[in-house]
Amino acid sequence: MMATTTSIEPVKAGPARKGPRDDTRLALLFILPALIGFGVFLVWPTLRGIYLSFTKFNLLTPPEFNGLDNYIRMVQDPVFWNAMKVTLYYVLLNIGFQTVLALVIAVMMQRLTQRTWLRGIVLTPFLVSNVVAAMVFLWILDYQLGIGNTILASVGLDRIPFLSDSAWVIPTIAFINVWRHVGYTALLIFAGLQTIPDSVYEAGRIDGASEVRMFRSITVPLLRPILSLVLIITVVGSFQVFDTVAIATKGGPVDSSRVLQYYIYDVAFGRFQFGYASAMSVALLAVLVIITFIQYRLTRAESSDLA
Amino acid sequence: MTTDTTPPVATALPTLIRREPAPPEPHRLNFGRVLAWTFMILVILVSLFPFYWMLRTALSSNNALYAGSDNLLPVQTSGGGFERVFGLQTGQEAIDAGGAGQAINFWRYLFNSVVVSTLITVGQVFFSAMAAYAFARLQWRHREKVFAFFLAGLMIPAIFTLLPNFVLIKQLGLVDTLLGIALPTMFMTPFAVFFLRQFFLGISREVEEAALMDGASKVRVFFRLILPMSVAPITTLAILTYIAAWNEYFWALMVSYTDKSRVLTVALGVFKSQTPQTGPDWSGLMAATLVAALPMLLLFMLFAKRIVNSIGFSGIK
Amino acid sequence: MITFRQRIRTAAVAVLTFSALTACGGSSGSGNDAIEYWLWDSAQQPGYQKCADAFEKANPGLRIHISQYGWDAYWSKLTAGFIADTAPDVFTDHLSKFAQYVDLKVLRPLDDLGPTSDIQDGDYQEGLAELWKGQDGKRYGAPKDWDTIAMFYDGAALKAAGVDPAELQSLTWNPQDGGTFEKLVAHLTIDAKGVRGDEPGFDKSNVKTHGLASEGSGGGGWGQTQWSAFTGSAGWQATDKNPWGTRFNLDQPELQDTLSWYFGLVQKGYMASYEEIGGANAIGTDKQIQSGTAAMGLSGSWMISTFSKLTDAGGKKLDIGIAPTPIGPTGKRASMFNGLADSVTTLSKQPENSAKWVKFLSDEECQNIIGQSGVVFPARPAGTELAIAFNKNERKLDVTPFTQQVEEKTTFLFPVTTNAADIAALMAPRFDAVYIGSSPITSLTKLNGQLNDLFKVAQ
Repeated sequence: MMATTTSIEPVKAGPARKGPRDDTRLALLFILPALIGFGVFLVWPTLRGIYLSFTKFNLLTPPEFNGLDNYIRMVQDPVFWNAMKVTLYYVLLNIGFQTVLALVIAVMMQRLTQRTWLRGIVLTPFLVSNVVAAMVFLWILDYQLGIGNTILASVGLDRIPFLSDSAWVIPTIAFINVWRHVGYTALLIFAGLQTIPDSVYEAGRIDGASEVRMFRSITVPLLRPILSLVLIITVVGSFQVFDTVAIATKGGPVDSSRVLQYYIYDVAFGRFQFGYASAMSVALLAVLVIITFIQYRLTRAESSDLA
Repeated sequence: MTTDTTPPVATALPTLIRREPAPPEPHRLNFGRVLAWTFMILVILVSLFPFYWMLRTALSSNNALYAGSDNLLPVQTSGGGFERVFGLQTGQEAIDAGGAGQAINFWRYLFNSVVVSTLITVGQVFFSAMAAYAFARLQWRHREKVFAFFLAGLMIPAIFTLLPNFVLIKQLGLVDTLLGIALPTMFMTPFAVFFLRQFFLGISREVEEAALMDGASKVRVFFRLILPMSVAPITTLAILTYIAAWNEYFWALMVSYTDKSRVLTVALGVFKSQTPQTGPDWSGLMAATLVAALPMLLLFMLFAKRIVNSIGFSGIK
Repeated sequence: MITFRQRIRTAAVAVLTFSALTACGGSSGSGNDAIEYWLWDSAQQPGYQKCADAFEKANPGLRIHISQYGWDAYWSKLTAGFIADTAPDVFTDHLSKFAQYVDLKVLRPLDDLGPTSDIQDGDYQEGLAELWKGQDGKRYGAPKDWDTIAMFYDGAALKAAGVDPAELQSLTWNPQDGGTFEKLVAHLTIDAKGVRGDEPGFDKSNVKTHGLASEGSGGGGWGQTQWSAFTGSAGWQATDKNPWGTRFNLDQPELQDTLSWYFGLVQKGYMASYEEIGGANAIGTDKQIQSGTAAMGLSGSWMISTFSKLTDAGGKKLDIGIAPTPIGPTGKRASMFNGLADSVTTLSKQPENSAKWVKFLSDEECQNIIGQSGVVFPARPAGTELAIAFNKNERKLDVTPFTQQVEEKTTFLFPVTTNAADIAALMAPRFDAVYIGSSPITSLTKLNGQLNDLFKVAQ
C-alpha cells in the first residue's frame, strides 16, 4: 500500500552488491516472533471483527448472521454520522494545533537555545497517561472549582464551561491532548531539524534572509519527510481518541463530543450490540486506511528535499 | 529556572567558547527574540503547571478542597491523600475523608508494574528490531507487501482486539498473571516496526557490505553491527514503549483480578472511578496520579539528557 | 566488575520475576474454594466484610473473597467475566442492569437453589423483593437494601435567610407557579451582590448560591435524584406498567409540564445550569452544598453518611438537615423507591454455596450488621430501624424524611424494563439537551416514539 515508494531506496543504494541474494529463510526467522504477535493479537481479532460486523451478536450467545443489516443501520444512524463529524473536527483541531505548535517549539529549541532541560520540560507531560491528563484537566477546568476558571473570574472575565459547552468541548479535548503530545511531537521534529546541515542556514544568513524567510524556504521544505512520518502517526492516533472523552465528557453535552471510538465502545459494551459496533469499527478502519493513503501520496508526491 | 531564562544576555558573549551550534544573530536582543522567549516561557508554564496543581491538590485535605478552590497553596495541608494511597489509613478513616478505603499494597504493585513494563519493552523492542531489520535490509519476496500489511495494523481500532485477546488470554490460562497483561504487546507493535525500519534504512550500506565481505553472517551483522549502531533510536523506542506500558490501564484492569497481578495504574484506579454516588476523592486521586507517575518522573530526571538526546533521526528520508 | 552482592541481587530479581510470572497462573476468580463476591460502593465494603466474617464463622469450610471495583470498571469487568468465564460467583446487582443479564441468561434463578428457594417477599420492605423477579416470574436477586429521595439542606443558609427548618416539612409545589417550594428556593438563592432571588434587583445571570442544587438532567436514570419526586407527585408514571412496561409516557402533559417548570428554575437562576455543575462529570448535591453554590438539594438515602461528614474549608462540620420531598398537585409527596440485590451467576462453580451466601446477605444477621454501619437502609424492616437509630445516636441526624415515604406508601418503583441500556443511551442526550435549553420540552414526544419503537423491534 504505502511501502511501494519507500522500497526504492534500499534497492538503489548499496554500491557493492554481490549480485541478487535471497534471504527469504533468514527473513522469515527474523519476522517470525513479530508475525506471531501480529497474527494472533491483531490480525485474527480484526478478521473476526469483520465477520462479526455481518452478524447480530450480544457477546454472550452465539452470533447470528444478518447480512448487511448493521451497515444499513449505520448509514441511517444520525448518531453515527454525527460521531464521524465530531471525530473529524477533533482530528483537524488536534492535529492542526499540535503540528503548528510543535513545529514552532522545535524551531525555537533549534534556533533559540539547545539546552537539554528545555527539551526535558516540554516532554514531561508525555510521561503521564491520557487518563491522568484528562483527570487533571477535568479538575483544573472545572466550571465552579477549577483553578482555570477561578483565575478567569478573578481577572474579571466570564467563566468558561470548557467541558460542558457544546462549542468549547471539542477544542478543550483537543487542547488536553495537545498538552500531552506536543512535546513529544516537537522533539521528533527537532530531531528532524538537526538533520538539516548548518551550512544551509549559514548560506541563507549570508544572503541576508530573515528568520521567517529561512523558516519558510529552508526549514519547511527540508523537513517534509519527517513531518509526513509524524503526521501519519499522529493522525492515526488522533482518530482513535477515546480515553479523554470517556473521562472528561462521556460524549456530552448531548452528542457534541461523542467521537466515533466512544460511540462504538458504548454500543459494544454498554448496549451489548457487538455486531453493530463491529460494523462501525470497520468503517473507522476504512476511513483511516484511506486518509493515510491520501496523506502518504500528498506528502510524498511533492517531496523534493535534500538528497 | 529564572536564571536559565536569561540567555539573551549570555549569548552576547563571544560565540567561540560555545560548543553548541552558533546561535543566530547573537548580538541583537531584538523584539523577535523577546517574543520568542515569552512564548517559550508560556509553553514551559503550561507544561508544568498541571504537575504543580496535582501536588497542591494531593497535599490538600479532600473535604476542604471544594470550599477552598481559589487557594493557590494547599488547603488545610494534609498528607492524607498520600496516606490513603499507601494504605496507611484504615478503611474507615479513608472513607471518612471521602476516599476509597481499600488497602494499597504499594510495593507489590510497583514491582508488578516494573515486571510488566520490562517484559513488554524488552520483548517488543527486540522482536520489532528483528522484524524491522528483515524489512529494511534482507532481500525477500513480497517484502513490501508484508510490510504494508504490518503498517495497516497501526490503524486497527482497539475495540476489535480487546475481547478476542481477553478470551485468548483466558484460554491460555494467563488471566490474573503478569505475563497475561504483557503478552499481547510483547511481540510487536506496528509503530515499533515502522519506527525502527526507518532508522535501519538510514544506516550506511557500505559498513554492512564490508562486514559481509569479511564473511560475517547476516545474523552476526544484525547483532554486532546494526543493533550497536542503532542504540539511540532503540533507546528512544524503548523509553516510549516503557512509558506506554507503564500507563496502560484498561487492558491491565481486565486481566488483573487479585494483588498478584495488579499493576500500579489499576491499583490506583480505585481512586478514579468511585461509585457514581460520591464525588471523586481529588486529593487521593492526585496523590495516586503523582505516585503512579513518580517512578517515570524519577527515571526521566535521571536520564533526561540521554533520553532527550537519543530522540533523533539519523537518516529518515 | 560484578561483585558478589550484585550477583545475588540479580539472581533474587530473576527468581522473583520468575515466580511472579508462573506461580500466579491457574487460580482465577471463581475456580478455587473461596466464594467470589463483587460490589462497587467502597463505602459499603467494611460492612459487608463484617458479614463475610460472620458467614465464615457460621459455615466452617466456606470462604468469602470480596472485590470492589468502581462503577464503570465494575460493569466492564463483569461483562468480560461473563464472556471469558472469570465472573464472580455472587455480585451486587442494579435494577437498570439486571433485566439485560436475565435476557443474556447469566443469572441463576434463586428459586432453583436450595438455600435461596424459600426467600419470602414479605420479609422485606414492601415491593422490594418483587422488583427482582424476571418476566418469567423467577427471582434473580435477593434484596439487600433500599433507598428513597429527600432534601438535604444547609442549616446555616436557612438561618441566614430567616427560614425555620420546620417550614420545610410542609412545602408544596405545582407546575404553574412552583408553590411554596419555589418561593423558598427563590428566597435561598443569592446573587453575587447579596440580593436574594425573591428581591427586586436580583441578577439571575450572576448567582453565587442557588436555592436548589442540580444533579443533572436525569435522563440516564429516570430523574431519580433530579425530577422524579416532582413527576411522581404530579401523578406521572414512566411506563404503561411496572415492572416490564413496553409503552412510554414521555409525551404526557404531566411530565412535560413538570419538567418545563423544573428546568425552568435554571433560567430563573434558582438552580445551577448544566455548565455550572460540570456537565458530564457533574458534582453532586453534596459538593454543591459544601462549596456554597447551593443551599439545599434532592439526593438519595445512600448519601446520608457523605452529607453527615461535609466540612467547610476550615474543617468545621456543616450543619446538614433533611426534609421530605415537597407535596405535589396530587396532594401527596412522592419518592422513587429503588434497591440493590445480590445475584448468583450461571458461571459459578459452587452455586449452592453461593446461594447460601446470598441467603446470608439477605438474612436478619447480616442486614442488622449493615444497618448498624449506617451507610444504607437494609431491605429488612428491623435492619432499617437499626440504621435509623444509628443516624439518630451517632450522627444526630433525623432520617425519617426518607423512611416516612415508605411508611406512608408515597413511593413508586424504579421503572424496570428490558432494553434498559438502549433506553438510557437514547434518553440521556435528549434530556441533557432539554436541560441545557438547546431542545424544547416537546422534543421528548419524539423521544417517546423512539423508545416505543425499541420494543416493536424487540417483539
